[in-house]
Amino acid sequence: MPTPSSPRVEVSGIRKRFGGVTALGGVDLSIGRGEVHALLGENGAGKSTLIRVLTGAIMPDEGEIRIDGAPRRFAHPRDAQAAGIAAVYQEPMIYPHLTVLENIFTGNEIASAAGIVRRQEMAEAALPWFDRLELDPALLHRRMGELSLGYQQLVLIAKALVQDAQVIIFDEPTSILSQAETDRLFTIIGRLRADGRSIVYITHRLDEIRRISDRVTVLTDGRVTGSAAADDLDEERLLDLMAGKAHRDYGKPREDRRIANDADPALRIEKLTRAGLYDGVDWSIPPGTVTGVYGLVGSGRSEVALAAFGALPADSGRVLLHGRPISPRDPAQAIALGIGYLPEDRKLQGIFATKPLEANLTVSTLDRFLRAAMRLDFAALRGEAARLIAHYRIKARDETVAIGTLSGGNQQKALFARWAGQSLKVLILDEPTRGIDIGTKAEIHDFIRSLAAGGLAVVVISSDLPEVLAVSDRVIVMRRGTVVQVAEGEAMQAETILAAAVGAAARAA
Amino acid sequence: MSVDNPAGTPRTIGAFGPAPTTGRPAPRPPRDYLPRGREGLLLVTLAILVLAAGFGSHGAFWSRVNLDNLLVGSAITLIPAIGMTVVILTGGIDVSTGSMLGLCTAIGGTCFAAGWSIAATIPVFLLSGAAFGLINALLIINGRIPPVIATLGTLSIYRMFVFIVLGGNWITQIPPALTMIFVVDHLAFLPVVAVIALVLLAAGMVFLRYFRWGRHVYALGNNEEAARLAGIKPERIKLAAYVMLGLLTGLAALLTLGQSPMAQTSTGSGFVLQVIAAVVLGGTALSGGRGTLLGTLLGTLIVQVVDDAIVLLHIQPFWGGVALGAVILASIGAGAKREAMETR
Repeated sequence: MPTPSSPRVEVSGIRKRFGGVTALGGVDLSIGRGEVHALLGENGAGKSTLIRVLTGAIMPDEGEIRIDGAPRRFAHPRDAQAAGIAAVYQEPMIYPHLTVLENIFTGNEIASAAGIVRRQEMAEAALPWFDRLELDPALLHRRMGELSLGYQQLVLIAKALVQDAQVIIFDEPTSILSQAETDRLFTIIGRLRADGRSIVYITHRLDEIRRISDRVTVLTDGRVTGSAAADDLDEERLLDLMAGKAHRDYGKPREDRRIANDADPALRIEKLTRAGLYDGVDWSIPPGTVTGVYGLVGSGRSEVALAAFGALPADSGRVLLHGRPISPRDPAQAIALGIGYLPEDRKLQGIFATKPLEANLTVSTLDRFLRAAMRLDFAALRGEAARLIAHYRIKARDETVAIGTLSGGNQQKALFARWAGQSLKVLILDEPTRGIDIGTKAEIHDFIRSLAAGGLAVVVISSDLPEVLAVSDRVIVMRRGTVVQVAEGEAMQAETILAAAVGAAARAA
Repeated sequence: MSVDNPAGTPRTIGAFGPAPTTGRPAPRPPRDYLPRGREGLLLVTLAILVLAAGFGSHGAFWSRVNLDNLLVGSAITLIPAIGMTVVILTGGIDVSTGSMLGLCTAIGGTCFAAGWSIAATIPVFLLSGAAFGLINALLIINGRIPPVIATLGTLSIYRMFVFIVLGGNWITQIPPALTMIFVVDHLAFLPVVAVIALVLLAAGMVFLRYFRWGRHVYALGNNEEAARLAGIKPERIKLAAYVMLGLLTGLAALLTLGQSPMAQTSTGSGFVLQVIAAVVLGGTALSGGRGTLLGTLLGTLIVQVVDDAIVLLHIQPFWGGVALGAVILASIGAGAKREAMETR
């Protein structure tokens, strides 16, 4: 029953499972009119799934959505749009070869009964909003793909306003914006709020939360773990809310943590710079240790690693392997020099899904099995594969099954085995346990530690704070392309690292 | 909160309501009736080729016979090329057009040989073409087979059926009236075939540019996911595109028999290459979402003029194939380079 005091949007008990994974495990959320509501959560916490439920892209298994007090069912995005909900995504969803005007109106064209589009009327409908957003009307007929990401975002906001959206969801909007563009966006959000519209604002950045939000909700592992008015939260409490996970179970620092000796690093990166990605980065990776690299998405960690791996060269700076400067032209050279890199997207960049497990395990070390006249010793290859499967406890029927049929955790173990089997000096692992269950995560952490114990220099890039704390001897923290902290020993605390990564003032340890 | 509010009348007046209309009209889109950019380049290229052919052949190019042949050939290539443009715009492709043409001529030719009148046989051509297009569409949409692979399969299957229908024979009992009406008769100095092609081209251009569903074709090719979320039904558009291409191919089959009144097992082989070359040369990207029918027209003419010039200038015919291949590579290469630069 709609009442004047009903919140604009209310969801209760939203549950959603994808196969065996629970993305949302009973989420309650309430958003008022004229309110900017920040939504916080790490990758995999369920934010995207919640947004997709709200915009009608997917339907929840359980739970209710109420708009202005009235229960609504969104079977299709058009239902959500009719209810006044619009979303502006992190990577703008656009039609690059169509004009700005068409991007605003496709699917909602103003047309005659016969279907002839009325371009002039559409332009006239958009014009008032362009004025309000201080956009040049001449943009209407430019190709959308020619605009910068910042302007594309503004066009998508105009699109939401043309559709008279009362609830606008922003998904990490400032990750693609410059400082000036961010200020402009915040001015606009302020005006939207004054107008009585509701804003859902997804972000990692604490400074932004303080600046524009009225309420804050934290999502962790598909549940709401905290919700409060922004004014009631100081930075300490916010950090506690976000880092809360770090104080639970497996995030405990290991007893075998070693204090590294910096004198003779296996890998040293000096003042590495690449325009737009990272600037003046220094890494020092001693042998026989695990160095974690923590930071939010976009902080440049993978890109720095790719420079050392020869996949994405830097503009300036040096990479030194055991004191010798190197500049590998491609990954094959880097591997020959002794640097390995396990990419974060195992589906796209790691496994050969349709090939058998044994092939995936031995593909990089085939020359060990080469006999005279270019023949492969398949028996030896199979034996080695069996040994690796046993050693890394990969759960598969046997070595001939296609690796694509294994669970994510076992695929990751296989990829790990592939790299571990080569003679390397440095191994970089990018998000090695993303999307993997806790049990397998712990196993992989054990493998990582034992690799390091054997003398290898291991780098673990991760956005999972408990993982970083659990597995590393020291942590390099990166933010927006620069190294902001190197934490070791006592200083390796969840709050300090998180504070550095999000840009909050570091609190006294 | 009422829900039936078509876009364009904002309901909220508040601190951030729309700015009061200042009476200043919205900017009109730039006039793009004149070919610019790629189309301008193609026009220039065509002009140069035509002049070169004219000179090189010592005026033989400009003879009535030659120009008529050129126009008839262009028309027969253009008609399916219109449908192919739309298919490629949606992000798909159809390589079975040549075999489809052959099979439609075989079926229609069989009707002619059995004494059917032209009027009775026209629907046969159109319906069989549409049916084959429908088969392609179902394989791609329902069977979820990638378009190039599905139509590669039907290419072989349709060609095989040509053998079955013709039984290894030729059909030559094509009513001469077919040639008279479509090829010999002229309307405003153009063979009737060419007029038909131009009318269809104009209809296509209007549809793609001014009609909502035409714009949806482009949206689909740009970002299918976004289009689906916006309420567009990709399956419907793709179905219509492939069926329409089939229908137009059926029409082209009828007109082919007017141009050369013989249905043989090899009718149509190599045809699809001409059609796709014309479309791609005209600026339609194989990835979908961009391209114009005007470009397809220019592409078709260029391909036909090159073919014609090779004969007139007594160049060995196989150079025609080389020229066609080179043209395809060059235009896809240029397109790919442009895409790479734009997405940087």
